[in-house]
Amino acid sequence: MSALALPETSNPALAPTEDPIIVLQEVSRVYDTGRVVVPALVGVDLTVPRGDFLAIIGPSGSGKSTMMHVLGCLDRPTSGRYVLDGTPVDELDDDALAALRSRSIGFVFQSYNLLPRTSALENVAAPLAYQGVGHRERTVRAKAMLDRLGLGERLDHEPTELSGGQQQRVGIARALVTEPALLLADEPTGNLDSHAGAEVIDLFHELHDAGRTIVLITHDPDVAAVADRQIHIRDGRISV
Amino acid sequence: MKLSDLLGLALSRLGTGKLRTALTMLGIIIGVASVVALVSVAQGATSGINSRLESLGTNLLTVNAGGSVSGATRGAFGSATTLTLDDATAISKLAGVAGVAPELSTSALVVAGSENETTTVIGTGPDYPLVFAYEIWQGSFLNQASLDNDLRVAVLGATTADDLDLGVSAIGTDITIEGYPFRVIGILQAKGGTGFQSPDDEVLIPLSTARTLFVGTTSVRSVGVSVASAKQMETVKSEITTLLEQRHDIATGGTDDFTIADQSQLLSTTSSVSTLLTVLLAGIASISLIVGGIGIMNIMLVSVRERTREIGIRKAIGARGRDVLLQFLIEALVLSLAGGLVGIVVGVAISVMIALLAGWAIAFNPLTIAVPVIFSLLIGIVFGVWPASQAARLDPVVALSYE
Repeated sequence: MSALALPETSNPALAPTEDPIIVLQEVSRVYDTGRVVVPALVGVDLTVPRGDFLAIIGPSGSGKSTMMHVLGCLDRPTSGRYVLDGTPVDELDDDALAALRSRSIGFVFQSYNLLPRTSALENVAAPLAYQGVGHRERTVRAKAMLDRLGLGERLDHEPTELSGGQQQRVGIARALVTEPALLLADEPTGNLDSHAGAEVIDLFHELHDAGRTIVLITHDPDVAAVADRQIHIRDGRISV
Repeated sequence: MKLSDLLGLALSRLGTGKLRTALTMLGIIIGVASVVALVSVAQGATSGINSRLESLGTNLLTVNAGGSVSGATRGAFGSATTLTLDDATAISKLAGVAGVAPELSTSALVVAGSENETTTVIGTGPDYPLVFAYEIWQGSFLNQASLDNDLRVAVLGATTADDLDLGVSAIGTDITIEGYPFRVIGILQAKGGTGFQSPDDEVLIPLSTARTLFVGTTSVRSVGVSVASAKQMETVKSEITTLLEQRHDIATGGTDDFTIADQSQLLSTTSSVSTLLTVLLAGIASISLIVGGIGIMNIMLVSVRERTREIGIRKAIGARGRDVLLQFLIEALVLSLAGGLVGIVVGVAISVMIALLAGWAIAFNPLTIAVPVIFSLLIGIVFGVWPASQAARLDPVVALSYE
């Protein structure tokens, strides 16, 4: 167990910014199975300013997945304070959490997680449907987003008819279509060959250059290297 | 998510697994079809019996001659000869009696031109159409003058007229009954009803003529009595009993040589029996509907399990619990409602087939259609809510990592 207790002032993860998109203060997430108590996150402090491109690196079992779930509002911290895009998360009920996810977060998953038997266009339009956007408008917006990611010719293809790289680009289009404040990517290149992986990384660079805030979670230092800033996570604690 | 989007989602999902959708709907289809078919057949039978009973005449009391008694032996019903034409005349003078139709009947050969038929010939009086609820289709009915003068005139039942090939032009022509010439003066409107002892298969002649030519006695087999209003049925019935007991010298409480049948009693007994039959059949059929509903629940539970990951994805991209709940609930509703509609079509088809093959009457009323539809919707809700709420309550983290 390597608990690195660095002085707060020297921790770049806590660098003061104006209107940060993510603020974690003393966040812990403990799994209590009844027989064993497993601390997955321990006293995590983290601030992510807007426009940041942050990589969170950690081996499996480091608490990286829990970090992703908490940041993505899929899970709530056991203790501590999490403010996402100006909204304190710990005060929200399930529906409000879903609304916050819908509004502020775009997920990119390792295994793409596209809706099965659903066309690329409908996959990308789905988040808009949950926002209550009408059929015509969401079709236009989804189509435009797929066009931008070079999938304009694949609108009617279902996930099984697309290559891994194409599926991941559909996944990124789906994450971006709602114009979220935060793009949260969990091992986005993990299932891709090096060529397709490089394309996705290039895409992330473009998005970052366009001003997007991106948090990339990975175990791979080479992937993490593309980010502006890296923090390490180990045994539920973070370090630079 | 908008309801229209959720509906689209449910329809496209059901469209991708057509075999499973069809098999799931089958339970509801069978349930609804059997409810519709059984209830419409039962109601058809009921309304057939009722209309048949009503066509016998409303507010009708029938006074029947009892069995003759000689020594210790009681003769057949109607064999007593104590009920006479004079009794009928006396009854007609009672208050509350609207009409009296004594009947003398015999079976006789009727010949018209080259056609001939053996049918029931009834001697009666002018009140017969009133008492037994007949309408005159052509010509006129027997009048008092025809009775007073023993005229040889006849009124034909619709079926008899048909069998003898007599139509509108037959009025005023002659037929023979057991060789005696009779003039046809009228043809009755058909009452309907088929089979044994059709009410339309008869020839009516003046009572006096029938007695002179065919029966040779003053006693009658039965007297139909039409009571002015339904409320007076009981009073008139007891008045007739008292009157006839007096006339036949029977002590009050003694054994009557006549019986009085009450149409309304028969009607209410029959209708309560057939209501029971309908409820019973509908109940049995409803069991299959419930079984169909459990089938839907089973499939929905499997479906929620299979699509756990999909549910996780939907939640991650912004679906609220309500969206997921409605998505699955609407799927169950579409399944059950579609099954219900197909079931109605199948049920109607089966009833029509039964009607054609067995010759039974069937009856559809709006309730027969509406109730199964509402019932199948309810089944969709009842058996869909549990799987849907399971889906809605799934933890997104758990659902996303479900393999």
